[in-house]
Amino acid sequence: MNLAIFLEQILNGLISGSMYALIGSGIALVYGTMRVLNLAHGEFYMLGGYFTYYLIVQIGLAPIVAIPLAVAIAFCLGMLIQKLTIEYLIVRENWAFTTIAATLGLSIILQNAALLMFGEQFNTVPYYVSGVLAIGDIRLPWQRVLIFLVALATIGGMTWLLKYTRLGWSIRATSQDRDAAQVVGIPVRRVYMICFGLAAALGALAAAMLAPINAINPWAGMPILLKGFVVVILGGLGSFPGAIIGGLFLGVVEAVGVQLTSSEWRDVISFTLMIAVIWWRPWGVFGTK
Amino acid sequence: MFRPFTPQALLGMTAALAAMLLLPLLSTDPYLMHVMVLVMIFGIFASAWNLVTGFAGLKTFGHHAFFGLGAYGSALMSIHLGLSPWLTLWLGGLLAGAAGLLIGTPILRIRSMPHVAIVTLGFAEIVRICIANLSGLTRGEMGLWGIPQFQGFTLPIVGKVSFTPADKVSFYYLALALTVLTLFVIVRLMRSKTGLAMLAMRDGEDAAESLGVNLTRLKLMVFGLSAFIVGIAGGFYAHYLSILTPQSAVGVDLMISIIAMVLVGGLGTFSGPLAGALVLTVLIEALRDLENYRLLGYGLLIVLIVMFLPRGIVTLRERLTFRQQEQADHGR
Repeated sequence: MNLAIFLEQILNGLISGSMYALIGSGIALVYGTMRVLNLAHGEFYMLGGYFTYYLIVQIGLAPIVAIPLAVAIAFCLGMLIQKLTIEYLIVRENWAFTTIAATLGLSIILQNAALLMFGEQFNTVPYYVSGVLAIGDIRLPWQRVLIFLVALATIGGMTWLLKYTRLGWSIRATSQDRDAAQVVGIPVRRVYMICFGLAAALGALAAAMLAPINAINPWAGMPILLKGFVVVILGGLGSFPGAIIGGLFLGVVEAVGVQLTSSEWRDVISFTLMIAVIWWRPWGVFGTK
Repeated sequence: MFRPFTPQALLGMTAALAAMLLLPLLSTDPYLMHVMVLVMIFGIFASAWNLVTGFAGLKTFGHHAFFGLGAYGSALMSIHLGLSPWLTLWLGGLLAGAAGLLIGTPILRIRSMPHVAIVTLGFAEIVRICIANLSGLTRGEMGLWGIPQFQGFTLPIVGKVSFTPADKVSFYYLALALTVLTLFVIVRLMRSKTGLAMLAMRDGEDAAESLGVNLTRLKLMVFGLSAFIVGIAGGFYAHYLSILTPQSAVGVDLMISIIAMVLVGGLGTFSGPLAGALVLTVLIEALRDLENYRLLGYGLLIVLIVMFLPRGIVTLRERLTFRQQEQADHGR
């Protein structure tokens, strides 16, 4: 195999991996703070893609305006959905199961609502930047480079938010010990709501960046949700840094796996990897016991 | 669970069974028979999912993997090995059960509900993609058709029994027999010591373990049994419809319908899954024109049920009588 092509595939793997990292970190954020496994997370990705599509293609906004707007809408929608459903379920007995079931129901509702509203055709958005970056024999479209840079900036921003802002301290305190956080006056319920919104925003951002490459359709959420699950299993459920490393790792493993087999086995490779990890290190490859 | 069935419950069960046995005497309308056969297939699936999720407390979301394995397993064995569907039905079930044990081993050691949910979902996706991709064997997305029917036989009084698309009554009675068998196994299991150990495990793993319940073995046993039953339902489905597609036999949609049925009927009850399967399947058939809204409706039902009626419709009466009882007690 040609070395340049191989390296190119690895780089592409890292780029897809950076998007997996955004998806996975949203799941990890919600699970880490409220111990809720959000099965509707993929739908925020799907909706984020549609918001982007409508703002750019139908309304004609510039991507630089449209993407933050789409992300903001997803943030608000996420908070609203949390307020209307999880908020009530999480305080009840048996919440671990009811929240999973409810988010599964939500996922189906959003998916089919999107199907009825937007139709079943696949929509794409024009490339945000054109041209190809060439380093030696390795050629990467600038669009993909942009995806990676945005992912890095977002991860950097989220890390800063979690480490150095009052909101971040509240989130981390809540995830460490909810009751103790409440005792010292942290508005735990509001932290939950914001976390859910942030997770939705991260999913929507990934969709907005991938919209020119991956067509947007009502069923886009479920496959990406499962990828996100693989990421959080690799990184250790509920760990934000784990999700980042897990995402990049999964991207590279998939790229290599697809080289060795073919692209239709991509998902089988990642799910098998996940089950192997559960067998071998249930707390995650990059997590601690 | 050791509590003997109340006379009302026994009467209810007998009446339901009698009604089901006598239904074809009133009408053998093929459409009615078809709907009732579907109700029973989903009822078996729902009861088996309820066994792991409602009784044993293992919240899995990937049981459609076992339905697909049973369906495709039985269909392919009868096509390629030339075996009788009467045999492959059970072999398909065994295949599903073996897969259940295989996938159960890594996850059931972990006491984490999210892990179980994630891995079972992922496993189902692996099964679906493999069936779709191995098109040389399964014809992939094109659909596997020409699955052999059950061979007919002759019964002393009834006469010749044949299983053809035109003769749905024999499928009806076969499905009924499988449903009764499934329910019998589940009721017997739940009323045994093992069943009590399962409930103890569901309600408090540490407490159950400290009393000598072997958690891992018990979980694996019930997971394998449930996968086996679902596999049988899948095999019957394959030979009944004689056509399978990856989406119809292993799609997430199928699992969602089952979850909606069990939640509507009542999680952790004997009759709930069957009642849910009956209500939802008949409702869907009655509202055929709204086919596009079917899944939307299931999603709404799941959310509304977990939020407002977490124990399902079969416990409604019980809850109402409890309330009266409480008031009576207070009054005393």
